[in-house]
Amino acid sequence: MNSTKLSIVDLTKRYAPGLEPAVDRLNMSVEEGHLVALLGPSGCGKTTTLRMVAGLMDPTSGSIVVDGKDITHTPVNKRGMGMVFQSYALFPHMDVAQNVAFGLQMRKVPAKEQAKRVAAALDMVQLGHLAKRKVRELSGGQQQRIALARALVVEPTLLLLDEPLSNLDAKLRETMRTEIRSIQQRTGATTLFVTHDQDEALDMADRIAVMNGGLIEQFGPPTEVYERPNTHFVANFIGQANFLTANVVSENGPATDGERYYKVDIEGLGTFGAVGHPGLTGTHELVIRPQRLQASLHAPLGANSITGTIERVSYTGDTLGFSVRAGERLLHAQLMTSSADMPRQGDTAHLSWEAADAYIIPKTPQGPAS
Amino acid sequence: MSITQTEPRQADRPGHEPGALEKAKVARDRRTYIALLVPAILGLFVSFVLPLAYMIRMSFNQGAPDGVIVETFTLDTYIQPLTDPFYWRVTLDTFQMGVIVGILCVLVSYPVALFLARTTSKYKGLLIAIAIAPLLTSAVVRTYGWMVILGTNGLVNSSLKGMGIIDTPLKLTNNMTGVTIGLVEIFMPYAILAMISGFGRLSYQLEEAAGSLGANKFKVFTKVTLPLSLPGILTAFLMVFVLSISTFITPRLLGGGSVQVLATEIYDQTTGLLNWPFAAALSVILLVLFGAVIAVYQRITKKIGG
Repeated sequence: MNSTKLSIVDLTKRYAPGLEPAVDRLNMSVEEGHLVALLGPSGCGKTTTLRMVAGLMDPTSGSIVVDGKDITHTPVNKRGMGMVFQSYALFPHMDVAQNVAFGLQMRKVPAKEQAKRVAAALDMVQLGHLAKRKVRELSGGQQQRIALARALVVEPTLLLLDEPLSNLDAKLRETMRTEIRSIQQRTGATTLFVTHDQDEALDMADRIAVMNGGLIEQFGPPTEVYERPNTHFVANFIGQANFLTANVVSENGPATDGERYYKVDIEGLGTFGAVGHPGLTGTHELVIRPQRLQASLHAPLGANSITGTIERVSYTGDTLGFSVRAGERLLHAQLMTSSADMPRQGDTAHLSWEAADAYIIPKTPQGPAS
Repeated sequence: MSITQTEPRQADRPGHEPGALEKAKVARDRRTYIALLVPAILGLFVSFVLPLAYMIRMSFNQGAPDGVIVETFTLDTYIQPLTDPFYWRVTLDTFQMGVIVGILCVLVSYPVALFLARTTSKYKGLLIAIAIAPLLTSAVVRTYGWMVILGTNGLVNSSLKGMGIIDTPLKLTNNMTGVTIGLVEIFMPYAILAMISGFGRLSYQLEEAAGSLGANKFKVFTKVTLPLSLPGILTAFLMVFVLSISTFITPRLLGGGSVQVLATEIYDQTTGLLNWPFAAALSVILLVLFGAVIAVYQRITKKIGG
């Protein structure tokens, strides 16, 4: 097990007294070498958290500990972190090499070593040939790489990335995603990564902190936040989800990872199999991912099956999505396309699932489920 | 499922060349644009080019006593100031005053402009309006204000005397010191405005980036803020320089006749001695001075604008 690199303790930020806190008693610890994504909608406090860790903003209360040292009140220029800004913030009056060398200059690294490390950093992002270029002559993707090189060349205690990919076009974003991740793994830099893009977070992160309203709703590996969402918000924010309100009828024995199978009752549709934490009773929300639903036009495929009418079909090339209405409920299913016959609007369809794919959200729902 | 096949657009076809119709349209558009420019060009021509041409022509005439202008073509009007040490001194004084006022004005305006450009206060607009509000009063009024403040029994001298710092009043009016103080204050709003608009590349995020890379506040200023605000500083300097070498109200009033610069000299020649050809020649010399400074300015901005 790795050691803890960063711990955030009860971190709170209130922009003005009386205002709702932007970050509300946040606790988190990040292991050495991990890439942690702070994921959430705009205004959830993810950027505020990052800026407090960077030292660009003072917390109202709480503390930030790096390598066992409390740095809550250390000024930004003494924290030794590498930050990549959303706008990259490259110095327009310097060339590429001068930009990358800036941090080394401030650390009074001897000129000879500076040149060596700048060259190495530029090679790492494969832009060694652009060292003498002006910043404005670079494309968005190149600027982004230079910003990364500038942050990493100082061997930062933490690498902080503030929505670094949001200014790039879709294709480039995917390339940079892979590249940032591989550089991060090569250098072993412990990284905090702010994003509102769930795909980015799922793809790149070792751990995801899903944030909402200044709080962490769930902190865990990508598979866990996706497969086993703690709250309605998490299930809804990450990926697509069908929500069904269900009453727990009985526990049906052990499942994997200490979970239990349950029999649940969905009003008007009957009883179905599901999975969840041990000891659940009462009314809960059931979450089923669209691509975990199996569909058949002819006969139900299993015990957990709902029959309805296809209301809408959407074809995206790779996948075929369709919405099935069963009474008041609308369920979304997603299949890989095949050359077999295509379902049509108005057809009757049977949607079924494995009990292990219907997860009971542990918290009881507040307010109406969608 | 069916995919609607659309016709490829004409422009996508290989070997597509603009047809006669398109060429005619381009030509028609061009004519429209030119027609739209005509009023502005005419206005500029009448209000700017014609007077300038008239002035240049005038400078080659011969001035005679009592304002008589002899229509001729002579270089005397130029030879006289260019060979007379008095006019060399006046030209040099003018240039020196422009540079000093420019530098001082930039120095005092820079902190204000920097603050106004960077503040995120919701009163930013109001604060900028306050900073440039002095423009609402005429330079004449403000010059008289400075005469009162700087005079022998003015605010400054009586305060300093009252505090026992000086015995005899400082000579702050009727000399270059007074003119410089007055001009610096009068041109501050222009300098502030020019700087704010010239700080385009400066951003808070760049300063944050420098900080996160280990730069302390002083280094952030010298390595990032100052270099990036240099274009604004230069523009402001140029503007103040040009304004101060062309103004005659403040040098005349605060200088009390003992400060002679090109602008006051031109004024005297025009309205006092009624020697228009000579005044016109001095104006052309002033214009050449402007041109030289602007040429240098453009050299520098090209270099730092990189």
